Amino acid sequence: MSDKSAPDNDVRFLIYQRFAAEGRPPMAIEIATAMGLSPLEVEASFRRLADGHVIVLAPGTHQIWMANPFSALPSPFAVRARNRDYFGSCIWDALGVIAMLGGEGEVATRCPDCGAEMSLSVTAGDVGPEDYVVHYAIPAARWWDDIGDT
Amino acid sequence: MLLFRSEEHLDQWLRDHELERGATMTVAQQWALARAWYGKRMEPEWRRRTPEEAQEVFEELGLSGAFWALT
Repeated sequence: MSDKSAPDNDVRFLIYQRFAAEGRPPMAIEIATAMGLSPLEVEASFRRLADGHVIVLAPGTHQIWMANPFSALPSPFAVRARNRDYFGSCIWDALGVIAMLGGEGEVATRCPDCGAEMSLSVTAGDVGPEDYVVHYAIPAARWWDDIGDT
Repeated sequence: MLLFRSEEHLDQWLRDHELERGATMTVAQQWALARAWYGKRMEPEWRRRTPEEAQEVFEELGLSGAFWALT
């Protein structure tokens, strides 16, 4: 294909399809097999998608760390949606998983201050309980300075 | 982006960690942002927003000012 963005878009779409279906990110070889591409072509696509801030690779590898809102690594933001378990890297991403997968689900986390268990539930478009507070520590312009810390 | 039980718990955590308060929002606002930001991410035609488009999403949800400025 002469248009490099075309396979990248297809690779991106397949990453999300696999992540949603299996609760884990696909390896480059899995995408390559499914799309009839070479693993090197897919790894190059992964790098372009990471350079474009569409996905995040684990440092020094071609393993997908984040295809936001999905996180490949366990985090304090556990998500249950469509009868499957996922992780989001933060509360925004955890609710993003639910938004992306049909709008119904639950987030389990703990208060960073006291450690108390907290559960957010999204049902029929409503989220609750309403008295919890979301805190953003880093201004928006700096989020991609260190996305793992954001 | 962390979730706290209350403003009091957030304030205590900020004091304990000697951190400045950033920005806060309600759970309902965060859900609205999550829907606006990620609702179409599974669709094949999804494309990353330009900074200008992303800024519009914030502004439509009332997230304005220096903290939310992307450029």
